[in-house]
Amino acid sequence: MEIIRTEKLEKIYQDNGVPVKALDDVDLTINTGDYVVIAGPSGSGKTTLLNLIGALDKPTSGKIFFESEDISKKTKKELSEIRLNKLGFIFQAYNLIPVLTAIENIEFSMMLLGVPEKERTERALAIMDELEIKELADKRPNEMSGGQQQRVAVARAIVNNPTIVLADEPTANLDSKTGSNLLDLMEQMNKEKNITFVFSSHDKQVIERAKRLIILKDGRIE
Amino acid sequence: MILKIAWRNIGRNKRRSIIVLGSVVAGVIALIFMDTFMNGMMYQMLFNRVSTNISHIQIHKKGFHNNKVVKDFIPGYQSAESKIKTVKGINSVSKRVIAFGLISSATSSSGVYIYGVNPEEEKSVSIIDESLKDGEYLSGGSREIMLGQKLADKLNVSLGDKVVAMSNQIDGSIGSEVFRVVGIFKTSSSEFERTYIYIPAADAQRMLNVNDKIYEFAVITDNYENVDQIKERLITELPADFEVLTYKDLLPTLIIQMDYYKETVLIVIMIVGLALIFGIINTMLMSVFERINEFGVLMAIGMKNRKIFGMIVTEAFIIGIIGTIVGLVISMVIQWRLASVGLDLSMFSESLNSFGVGAVIYPRLDIENLLLSVISIPVITVIGALYPAYKAVKLEPVYAIRYV
Ligand SMILES: Nc1ncnc2c1ncn2[C@@H]1O[C@H](COP(=O)(O)OP(=O)(O)OP(=O)(O)O)[C@@H](O)[C@H]1O
Ligand SMILES: [Mg+2]
Repeated sequence: MEIIRTEKLEKIYQDNGVPVKALDDVDLTINTGDYVVIAGPSGSGKTTLLNLIGALDKPTSGKIFFESEDISKKTKKELSEIRLNKLGFIFQAYNLIPVLTAIENIEFSMMLLGVPEKERTERALAIMDELEIKELADKRPNEMSGGQQQRVAVARAIVNNPTIVLADEPTANLDSKTGSNLLDLMEQMNKEKNITFVFSSHDKQVIERAKRLIILKDGRIE
Repeated sequence: MILKIAWRNIGRNKRRSIIVLGSVVAGVIALIFMDTFMNGMMYQMLFNRVSTNISHIQIHKKGFHNNKVVKDFIPGYQSAESKIKTVKGINSVSKRVIAFGLISSATSSSGVYIYGVNPEEEKSVSIIDESLKDGEYLSGGSREIMLGQKLADKLNVSLGDKVVAMSNQIDGSIGSEVFRVVGIFKTSSSEFERTYIYIPAADAQRMLNVNDKIYEFAVITDNYENVDQIKERLITELPADFEVLTYKDLLPTLIIQMDYYKETVLIVIMIVGLALIFGIINTMLMSVFERINEFGVLMAIGMKNRKIFGMIVTEAFIIGIIGTIVGLVISMVIQWRLASVGLDLSMFSESLNSFGVGAVIYPRLDIENLLLSVISIPVITVIGALYPAYKAVKLEPVYAIRYV
């Protein structure tokens, strides 16, 4: 089933008055169960594309269909609603909420959805069990290693059963072994739970494991 | 959970939070202290005037208050007195013979208000007997006079010296009597010390050549806040050619001052509030800027602007509440100490005396004003957080996430 389709997507940034074309004529479809890697050199537009797919930003022109609905003209509030209900994010710098423990971080996005407290805890514990991070439950981000934090971030991203998980260079801050373990984990989630993943990366490891590879160059798909 | 995050965020930069908390505490203490201090000063001004000579209610023949002429004695005061004493809420009454006159010593003379009193009665409405610095209170014997320290200095007399008091009689001739200084009083009002003298009522009547006449009933009630009701009762009880005046009628400027002061409190709250608001804006902005990246993440995972806004405002509100409680507790301790010991301002006592306050101020808590400060401070901290919170929710998520 089609989750995302873009049509002639174009994004132009204004860099101190100088227009920078970050994406140019991008047509792309992502289906349920995909495990896609967007690769390309630095500055090729990977992050920009993920931000557009992730309803974090709006295109300069072109259309983005999310579950057949054009989201390119939606208001900020509507986009925020879509992100909350349908999307999971994993960031390069983990970006857990520093004042919350691992389990609270995972519960947080459920809280935003209004999941009752008891169910939140149960679900958080279940997902932590699955990702083998139960012992981290009461640790704050600064008490965890990068790999551990990123696992918690994966848990946070998938706990609400999102339609799609977007990960912008999730392994860039990890050593290759830790990164590989994390990739195992996401692959497993993709297989077992049919969770759709879209990565951006120029990490060889990531690219090698891609089920589908999209290469960007100067904002265009090659 | 928002509350939990807000609370932990406060703990995150302890130094900064303590600084903000400190300024809130200082604001609360300053407000409450200023308020209780001013309130105490106002109350003392009123109390001093009322308890030395104004009393709660004065009763005269109509017109006497404005123009103290000898012919305006209270007609048939005996029956009036028994009527007054039947009115509920009246505690004590003193009959006074009052006239304007001149007092002279060997070296100098001065215009004065002459109070002819029955010493025992006067004690029951006035603290003048407790205000003596030298000598004794009127003993009831004749030709005794008490005067203020300032007047004694001016006339250059001391205890035992003779002075002559003079006043107009009804027919226009001048009556005069010789008195011996038995007591010198000191009050918080230099004006009063300079212009009031006390002599026995009988001597005053003889000097004015008014046999057995009196000019004023000075009345003390059970509660000075109820004077208006008692005034109404007295007006209906007494003949129409009497005037009944409460201390509010008699001290209009002081009463206006006290009302005006309530407005001053509002202005001070606004000034303190403004200073606090800028402090809060400043620190909250810093804390928002330090967390731009975090807000980006919160937005990305779908946290609504309303909630982000609420979280930041909650942080400020928590600080406001804690600061107010701490400030309140410290203020109460200060208040509790000072209310009994008083604040000794003898170094400024000259100027305070001309206000009629006295050198030691006893701060007084006014619940209404206290509530006003206690409620307004947390509100103020919230107001201070509005702009930083607005800044946070106006962030573009993409920009915020990239921000390092
Ligand atoms: N906010 C912005 N303002 C101006 N130019 C921008 C902005 N964001 C990105 N760009 C430019 O757009 C182009 C694409 O950037 P983008 O971040 O999407 O690349 P990327 O492929 O993610 O690169 P990297 O691998 O370094 O993360 C680059 O030339 C970049 O300089
Ligand atoms: Mg990038």
